[in-house]
Amino acid sequence: MTIFAVALTYLRGRLVASSFTAFSVALGVALVISTFLLIRGIKDGFIEGTTDYNLIVGAKGSPTQLVLNVVFRIDVAPPNILHTIYEQLQADTRVDLAVPVALGDAYQGFRYVSTTADYFKNVPWRRKTFTFAEGRLFRNDAVEHPAYEAVLGAQVARQIGLNRGDQFYQGEEMAEYPLTVVGILRPTHGPDDRAIFFSLASFWGMNEVARQMTVKPLTAVLVRPKRLSDLPSLHREFNVAPETQAVLPSSVLLNIFNLLSLAEEVLKMILGIVALVVFLYLFVAMYSATLERKREVATMRAIGARRGIILLIVLLESATIALIGGAVGIAGGYGLAYLGAQIVAARGGLAMNPLVFTPLQFVVLAGVVVLGTLAGLIPAILAYRTEVAENLAPLS
Amino acid sequence: MTQGQAAVTLQGVTKSFPVGNGRDLEVLNIQGLELSTGSYTVLRGPSGSGKTTLLNLMAGISIPTTGTIWVDGTDIFSLPEPRRDRFRAEHIGYIFQTFNLLAAFTALENVLLAMMFVPTLAKREQRQRAEEILGNLGLKERLSHRPHQLSRGEQQRVAIARALANNPPFILADEPCASLDPNTARVVLAEFLTLCREEKKTLLVVSHDETALRGADRILEMTEINRPAEPS
Repeated sequence: MTIFAVALTYLRGRLVASSFTAFSVALGVALVISTFLLIRGIKDGFIEGTTDYNLIVGAKGSPTQLVLNVVFRIDVAPPNILHTIYEQLQADTRVDLAVPVALGDAYQGFRYVSTTADYFKNVPWRRKTFTFAEGRLFRNDAVEHPAYEAVLGAQVARQIGLNRGDQFYQGEEMAEYPLTVVGILRPTHGPDDRAIFFSLASFWGMNEVARQMTVKPLTAVLVRPKRLSDLPSLHREFNVAPETQAVLPSSVLLNIFNLLSLAEEVLKMILGIVALVVFLYLFVAMYSATLERKREVATMRAIGARRGIILLIVLLESATIALIGGAVGIAGGYGLAYLGAQIVAARGGLAMNPLVFTPLQFVVLAGVVVLGTLAGLIPAILAYRTEVAENLAPLS
Repeated sequence: MTQGQAAVTLQGVTKSFPVGNGRDLEVLNIQGLELSTGSYTVLRGPSGSGKTTLLNLMAGISIPTTGTIWVDGTDIFSLPEPRRDRFRAEHIGYIFQTFNLLAAFTALENVLLAMMFVPTLAKREQRQRAEEILGNLGLKERLSHRPHQLSRGEQQRVAIARALANNPPFILADEPCASLDPNTARVVLAEFLTLCREEKKTLLVVSHDETALRGADRILEMTEINRPAEPS
């Protein structure tokens, strides 16, 4: 037999207690891991969504609302701006690319996003590329003859079950403007996976108010300047204009992150308490187990076990529970993070991919094992100091 | 320090325990005692006369207040504790009154555990020896049974096998059959004594059983060898 085999046998001998203890470690670790993964995923999701365009021009109001609504399709839609703003930006020599965006209703929770082919253009500075799993982009139809062709984000197609050629509409009043699926995008792991895209002409054709307007409405224009040095002047110009605001997505992101960091600090404190509770639970479990088997420890000493071996056995038991709990907890943490990401995406619209595996998980596991071993230190010392003759005496 | 041909020698051994108020109670005072190599000695005495204390001292589990104890030519209390533990594992087999088997371990594992502390045999050979000893004690079909799955007689046999596992020259048995019914006690004791005598071990058995007394080379009365000081 080896010392490790002895430790495992003791754990096996109190299988229910050992399992519950390992499970509590796993729960604690899963909570910590999933929280950090989700926080990182949320941050990455925000960064992913906001870094393609340097400027967003929309109506006067809350910059945060504009960015959240236009980029992440969260929050209520801000007031509209006129199409002439887009034309102005498109003609501006400082602008590399201007993309008009109009956000409307939703179909089964998936937001309508009307835009142009430029939104999907693959350019070197874009973090993600758009490719089609099926079909093609909607036509660049004329305002007078909207085609009502729709392109679905990957998650939309998967969840609703619409296929190419299918027609759909939301609400009876839209029955005469059904949209036809002409293309389905591959996953981009961002907010676009949850959007239904169609042309601006189709958007205006479906909207009773817009139909009447001579100058058509937009929600915002996404802007990429030719040179970053042109950004301040563009920002200033459209900010001082009476009907528009220009928002730097990076500054909004900073505000969001500042808010998140407050929540993060509170969460860290709570998780610290959770970790302490788990540590104490493991300590109490090992302590009671050691008290219960003083006689057995004395017997092992009497048949030749050195004190150091006794100490090692108890430490190994504690470390093994921590190892099993830690490994299961890390796997569970990823599972929880995945579920959490699905919920956040479904309710908040922020898409993220928290399932990023890094060697850091091994560091976390090592840390859990070290802490778990420490939790067994006092019980191990208790076992180490067990008096042999006193604990071998017959019980009656 | 080494000592003559006797397997076990006690010289001027006393053991006292503190009883509070700065006072000690002397429970053992044995000026001289020798057990010859290969001898079988039975130790008798009333309850509380110090029999278990004496066995614990001889096993090196308890430290005498004064005196020296030689086992197999070695002053066991001149050894540092870790070496004394190793010495005990190699030279002394101890059978406890209440078996003291480890509940989570099978019969085989209880025996293998004793061998773990004296790793002179390879793992496979350890297993073979453990199986052989248990087989000699009629437990061939019980190797994978845990103590709660064994009868009391079988448990005591496992305890005997554990004591013999490392082939120690000196065996201490503290009322080995006190927990057994008379018939089982007779059978188990007879098997135990046969095995030990065959292997020429030095035996010290605390017992009042007729089977144990029969065939003993010597019967020691605690009241005769132990002269503790009167409590003050």
